[in-house]
Amino acid sequence: MSDFITSVKEMNGIILIETNGYLNNVGGEEISAICYEKMGLGQTKFLINMAGTKIVNSIGVSILIEIIEKLQEVNGKIGYYNLAPIVSKTFNIMGLTKYSTVFETEELAVNEL
Amino acid sequence: MPSSFNINELQLKYLELETLLDITNELNSFDQISVLLQEILIKSCGVLNASSGLILIEDNNSDVLAIGADFNLDISVLKGLIFNKKKGFISEIHENRKAININIVDDLFLSKTECSFGLIAPLLDKKNLVGVIILFDKESRQGISPFQESDGNMLSAIATQASVAYNNIKLIESIKEAKTFNDNVMQSIVTGVFTTNLMGEINHINRAAANIINLDREHVLGNHYEYVFESNELLNQLITKCEFESKTLSETQILLECNGKATTVNISVSPLLNDLGEPIGSVVAMEDLSNLDKLKSTFKKYVSKQIVDQLLENEELLNLGGQEQEATILFSDIRGFTSMSETMAPNEVVETLNEYFNLMIEIIFKYNGTLDKIIGDALMVIFGAPIAHQSDTENAVKTAIEMQEKLIEFNQNRIINLKQPIKIGIGINRGKVISGNIGSKQQMNYTVIGDSVNLASRLCSVAASDEIIVSETVWKHVKDLKIFKSKKLKPVKVKGKIKPIEIKEILYNRPAFHYEYAYNKIEAYLIANLPTQYTYHTIDHIRDVVEQAERIAKKEKIPKAVIDDIKLAAWLHDVGYIWEPLRHEARGAEYATSILTEMKFPKSKITLITGMIMATKIPQSPKNIFEEIICDADLDYLGRDDYDANSSGLLQEIELSKKLNRKDWIKLQVSFLNQHAYFTNSSKKLRSPKKEIILKQLLETTK
Repeated sequence: MSDFITSVKEMNGIILIETNGYLNNVGGEEISAICYEKMGLGQTKFLINMAGTKIVNSIGVSILIEIIEKLQEVNGKIGYYNLAPIVSKTFNIMGLTKYSTVFETEELAVNEL
Repeated sequence: MPSSFNINELQLKYLELETLLDITNELNSFDQISVLLQEILIKSCGVLNASSGLILIEDNNSDVLAIGADFNLDISVLKGLIFNKKKGFISEIHENRKAININIVDDLFLSKTECSFGLIAPLLDKKNLVGVIILFDKESRQGISPFQESDGNMLSAIATQASVAYNNIKLIESIKEAKTFNDNVMQSIVTGVFTTNLMGEINHINRAAANIINLDREHVLGNHYEYVFESNELLNQLITKCEFESKTLSETQILLECNGKATTVNISVSPLLNDLGEPIGSVVAMEDLSNLDKLKSTFKKYVSKQIVDQLLENEELLNLGGQEQEATILFSDIRGFTSMSETMAPNEVVETLNEYFNLMIEIIFKYNGTLDKIIGDALMVIFGAPIAHQSDTENAVKTAIEMQEKLIEFNQNRIINLKQPIKIGIGINRGKVISGNIGSKQQMNYTVIGDSVNLASRLCSVAASDEIIVSETVWKHVKDLKIFKSKKLKPVKVKGKIKPIEIKEILYNRPAFHYEYAYNKIEAYLIANLPTQYTYHTIDHIRDVVEQAERIAKKEKIPKAVIDDIKLAAWLHDVGYIWEPLRHEARGAEYATSILTEMKFPKSKITLITGMIMATKIPQSPKNIFEEIICDADLDYLGRDDYDANSSGLLQEIELSKKLNRKDWIKLQVSFLNQHAYFTNSSKKLRSPKKEIILKQLLETTK
């Protein structure tokens, strides 16, 4: 496990990923590596707990968009919860929320994904 | 990839604007600098796609910046490094005050972060640099790249907002600090102080005042002074009068009766004014004159506060009846004070002595000495009586050193004000003394007497100006401490002793020479002695050369230490006119050698200065840049608007010895100007063009 990704587990067919720190190029690559590895094993639903991530840059966002594109090819989905206000705002401005969902809680996310 | 998935420029600009707006809205909500800096850094990194960041911020108003915040960076590699405002990229940003891109590998310190590219913007307080915000490595999907110009503009905008917020927090912190400081001072001082507002309500009262009036602060605050002091008509009258007349009033020995307690106090009432000088209330100070304090304040004039407190705590320590004990005795006196005072007005003598004694007695009490006597200009101080301490001798030596060192500062002020410096010699001895109250029934004084006291006095007589002489007994007591340096001197024969006494000189830091003193002395000497018939080689010409020499030296980036020497040479360059105009450079150099040696200037400096004086001999022959500077300063007027006035003065002076007709005089000037050339680049640039014009004008007149 890296410093950025602190936990990866599966629940009801959804891969739960917990992050900590800056979602930038490095952080984004780490998420995409996990996602692509799991997609290779047939997983299509991903949920990211971003409680430990207080800041994100546009490169991190663009990597998430690449993951969404790949997921759309296999009819998969990705969602996020526990977003800091600045992260939430950046996701909105960058258009990420049009193609993926920000959830209030883990419970809501697991039910809806 | 669907086009809707692309992150376009517009979105990024929108994000930048939103972030800037967020920062502007949020910044003033922070009250801790560390939180503010961290937040700014995180948001800046995010919005500008930086991989990491660092904020360096001022450290105790020095030129050094310390790490104020870091993000996504291993700062252990930067720990212990000194980021100086005046060095490297910080110096560049200090000068330009705008964001700059840098290659991190070019910077000795930042290269330790192993980043490649940096974007740096200044945090400013008005025009002063208080910190820098540094972003590292702009990220892209292709890897890292340098930051763009637009990134610099964005970071500058964020830094401007951040600077405002940072300065606000600093201001609030300093106000809080000042308030706490004032409150602590108010609560700590023994004088009772309270203040009233315009309504006459008491709005501040310190602990001492609450004790004097025997009331809790809570019972006093917010109440009118006439209510609190209802049975103290005199105090009420004083405050009321102060309110009406807006001037300080005082009364001594007032019996203040409050809440069943009577205290004798001295009272002073002053108007409280705001910044505009308008009255906003009054401040009342009360000095408690209870017997103990009266005794203390009297006693403290002779012994240190610490000893008074010890005596008052344990009266048994005080044996005033007479006993034999060990003590260390220090004598000091002013060298040549009698002859010095003959040249001073009586009030100046008293003023000088009072200033000197105040300074010295403060040091004596600091080291727990007991001031036994002031005998004319001499001081006798006891360490170890009435209370003995293990460190008595050490304290005596420390007192002596600090007396000499403080006197150096004291003399620097006197020298600048053209007053004679005060020089003292100090002698210290330790041995058996008889201590006690000695005198008649009418007048008794606590003192010590005995052979050891006499020897201390003799050692003081042996000490030359600025010297501290101690007996072998004193040195044995302090040598193992290894904090003092000494020099063994030849044993001396003193009155009352058959055998010569072994002595040591205690060494301390003595500066050898003072430029300001030398300038003032030489200027005074020139004013008094330059022949009055001279119309060119006057004190005004010399002052002009000093001024020009300093200006040129600064332009030529000469170090400050040498500028002082150049100025000294300028002051001395025409002093030889006093004795021998035709050989004035050589006579000036001789005089400089003699006076500067007397003033303890090092030989190397004297050689440098005399070289500069000799270089001014016409035709000028400078051998180094310093000599070039003084040569150019001496003939600076050749390329100035006041050339005519100077040349008229020179002609008048030449005509003291030989008459010149107008034609010869013009010819002489043309020839001189033709042969002359400035040596320094700054003078060539500044003065040569005007000199050419003057030369042309002179040539015109010859046609």
